[in-house]
Amino acid sequence: MSGKDFFIDRYQQLGWKYRETKLRQTIRINETNAKGKNLVDRLEHLGVSLEKIPFLKSGYWVQSSKVSVGATAEYLLGFYSIQEAAAQIPVSLFTRLKGKFVLDASAAPGGKTVQLANLMENTGIIVALDVEKRRLSALSNHLERCHVRNTLVYLLDARLSSNLKFKFHRILIDAPCSGNFASDPVWFKNRTLKDVERNSALQRQILTKAVECLADDGELIYSTCSLEPEEDELNIDWAIKNLKLSIEEISCHGEKGLTEIFGTKLDPLVERCKRLWPGETQGFFVCKLKKRGVVL
Amino acid sequence: MKAASLFNFISQFNVQVALNPELIFEKNGRFFLLNDLIKPLVNRDFFYAGVYLGKAKAGKFFPSFILLSLLAKEGQANRIVIDRKSAWLFICGRDVLRKSIVRIHGQAKKGTNTLVLNEFGECLGFGRILGKVTGLILGNEIAIRNVSDIGDFLRRER
Repeated sequence: MSGKDFFIDRYQQLGWKYRETKLRQTIRINETNAKGKNLVDRLEHLGVSLEKIPFLKSGYWVQSSKVSVGATAEYLLGFYSIQEAAAQIPVSLFTRLKGKFVLDASAAPGGKTVQLANLMENTGIIVALDVEKRRLSALSNHLERCHVRNTLVYLLDARLSSNLKFKFHRILIDAPCSGNFASDPVWFKNRTLKDVERNSALQRQILTKAVECLADDGELIYSTCSLEPEEDELNIDWAIKNLKLSIEEISCHGEKGLTEIFGTKLDPLVERCKRLWPGETQGFFVCKLKKRGVVL
Repeated sequence: MKAASLFNFISQFNVQVALNPELIFEKNGRFFLLNDLIKPLVNRDFFYAGVYLGKAKAGKFFPSFILLSLLAKEGQANRIVIDRKSAWLFICGRDVLRKSIVRIHGQAKKGTNTLVLNEFGECLGFGRILGKVTGLILGNEIAIRNVSDIGDFLRRER
């Protein structure tokens, strides 16, 4: 069960007609670092033509550029990051981040960690985990470049996050996933349904352990860049039934989560999730979860 | 005390920075400045924490760019502002010519270290002063030897 035709047929069954997608380069301004810098003007002066992304606070598409956007002084000074448009959504869904204790469960290479630190204005604490040491070096470089000051990084599998014995006000699970064809040209060739099922099982384990670390009034954002419902709506349907979680309403770019997957009906509240089919952005899935039935 | 290499390095810029030694953590030669919130949560297994200050290796200190930008904010620090073209060349690893120097703050004696700033006052790295930094406007000789610049973030990825 693999190959382009197999997956395209699945997408069709889910209500989306496959089309090839060419992603535009996207940047996110690190507002805390770039305050008072007239960054857009400075980049335009360098020959970088930007277009504001209407559904993101600090996101811009690069329309054209005479220079490498990843090698300007402004980039090296941490005034902006290169971050795909959909990937900028999850962190933006948290409320009241300043001063909070935040877990970034699968942090490397650090785009969302830096975004968190910026929205927190370097207050509070981010505990950032990743399981690969090589990826932690990339994360560390990212933190240094963007002058992040409030992060504590551990080489740790997210499935062991509860071993830290911390309770977090906010948890981001940008889960390790199967990815999608829009950001990986050989995706159809390399992926099988078995990969998807293996990742889905891993994601459920991470979710289970993360919920143990979530403060009673905390917020958990779950996201993947997979289009496969086993890693998205089916996992969230499982989580609300097994982990005593509720799905919160969110307002962001994207379509409602699917509530019927290959003939199986899910909890109607799963439609509160957001699914982004590839087009303006890469493929993405995101939702906000809270503990259910907690009296505060 | 290993942190001595850090403080020695800072003193080379003619500046005193108030870094609380009790909040400085060293791990595998790398120095981190914690704050009161992070400090109680850190255990020895951490990979990165708070503000990365730099690393000591074979008796030499290699500063982070966060540390350099902290030093650059100190009024007394040795700083040299260079023009736009030279700023670009500097982050590509090149030295600074005398004619590219726009302004000088602090000491600019031969053999001392100086922070190198662009026209916006943003710290691009640091270098060692090789000779006279003032005088002839058309001076084509190298005035500042590049020691470290932010282009290093790109070189690390190779």
